[in-house]
Amino acid sequence: MRTARALFVALHLFAVSFMALPSPGSGLNRAAWSEPTVQGEFQSWTQILGMVGIELTVPELEEHLWTLGHGYESVREWVLWPFMPYYRHLGTFQSWRMFVAPHRYPGRLQIRVHEDEQWRVVYEARSDEHTWHRAWFDHDRMRASVFRYSWKHYRNSRRRFTDWVARQAAHDFPEADRVEVSWMRYRTPSPQEVTRGASPKVERDLRNRRTLGELR
Amino acid sequence: MTDAPATPAPAEAPGWWERWVARCSATESATSLALFRIAVGLVTLFTMGSVVTTGLVDVLWVDVAYGGMLPLEGNWLVAGLGGATPTVIWGLVGSSLLGSLLVTLGVGGRPVALVTLLVTTSLVDINGHAGGSYDELLGNAWWLVVLAGGERTLSLTARWRTGQWWPQVPVVAFPRWLGIWQLCLMYGSTGLQKVSAYWVPGGDHSALYYIMQQPTWQRGDMSWVAPLFPLTQVATAVTWWWEVTAPLWILFVWYAHTPDRPGRLRAWSNRLRLRWVYAGIGAAMHLIIFATMEVGPFSPLSMAFYVLLASPAEWERWLRRAPSSS
Repeated sequence: MRTARALFVALHLFAVSFMALPSPGSGLNRAAWSEPTVQGEFQSWTQILGMVGIELTVPELEEHLWTLGHGYESVREWVLWPFMPYYRHLGTFQSWRMFVAPHRYPGRLQIRVHEDEQWRVVYEARSDEHTWHRAWFDHDRMRASVFRYSWKHYRNSRRRFTDWVARQAAHDFPEADRVEVSWMRYRTPSPQEVTRGASPKVERDLRNRRTLGELR
Repeated sequence: MTDAPATPAPAEAPGWWERWVARCSATESATSLALFRIAVGLVTLFTMGSVVTTGLVDVLWVDVAYGGMLPLEGNWLVAGLGGATPTVIWGLVGSSLLGSLLVTLGVGGRPVALVTLLVTTSLVDINGHAGGSYDELLGNAWWLVVLAGGERTLSLTARWRTGQWWPQVPVVAFPRWLGIWQLCLMYGSTGLQKVSAYWVPGGDHSALYYIMQQPTWQRGDMSWVAPLFPLTQVATAVTWWWEVTAPLWILFVWYAHTPDRPGRLRAWSNRLRLRWVYAGIGAAMHLIIFATMEVGPFSPLSMAFYVLLASPAEWERWLRRAPSSS
């Protein structure tokens, strides 16, 4: 019993520690790499590497990271494969990519309905004025979803999210004929810009619209 | 020639495996693990309860065919019960809440803890978009609760069996050490993955400022932080170094646990109280996150692991002192 317990603890420690080693995971995605926030990171890193004598262009850096990332992930998957049931069934999965980088071009979810020939904002993230279903959208689990859908490569999920919003809007706004889900995109102002009172340029992004008539 | 007096052969020092087996079988009073059990139960009640009270169960965890947001299949348990239908999902939610309550009260032991682990992880994993690393931490916490079986004290079970709420009973200590390592692992891993130029030394240390401006997680407008930018730069540097070096934390806890052993590093660590220095930085960080950002149960759940940093003897000393000093 004592030996079995010791063996189990050793295997557990290996399984969780190895799985916790840094991994790009879903971040190994060309579409995500094309986002301005990620491109900004590549730009910063080519400058930092240049300071220590490693001259690389952004496309070269991307290519190196892509090759390295895929090789690393293959080895990692091969080592972790026997432990997968342990992670999957007993809650020991390790994924700690938390706030690995600030999102310099975040999106603020906005929902509008079309009534009387004009668009009306009914929900905007973090707004105290446009608060339709705020309890839902402000919950941490819904925020996690909305954050993911603000990335281009979540196209299919974003469409389904819009379909669901449309079903709620069709019920709650009987006079509306259309609903629109979009993200108000802007570059986060620097501390100096905030102090100066400069407002960021905001652009509507990832717009999806649905007709409500057939949903009623 | 006379025979020399026989001298006993020196006892062979135990090898590393024998020492490991002995370490994994060591026991200690159940108090720390019981407090951890209670904290994990309460945090699960909080996180599950918040989904129920905001009316998001049917939105996030039920399949689109039944009114949910996404097409969802669920794991073997959900699929085996018939898929992500409202009946199945609400059954799992009820089981998770009931299990968490029973474990908090210390009823049912390991079987109830294991069922609660299975139903809770089945729920939070069903929609991979609607959650975060706190769900992984929750799963790990529940597995430690199962391993610890900490219902032998500070529980209704203890009251029924012994007539006391807080009997001093020994349990194997390894789950407490696994919990401490889990905490160190989480911080160390996230630190090593903070490779953004906004985080790492050599960059401008503006990560925390910009993260606080991200609307996704804000509780409210955070532009008031701008004049405090230099402070956020210091906080960014402290956070990064603290996280990256967090795996050393378990060493500091071990040194505090074995103060009579020799070693300059041990004496230095204990004199500087590094175990509590690390805990203080972590607690301050979680307090700021909790006050300014909506990231679900992440901070309270992480703090539940901090309970394990103190030995049962320390908890018993503090808790017994508390009523008499008031």
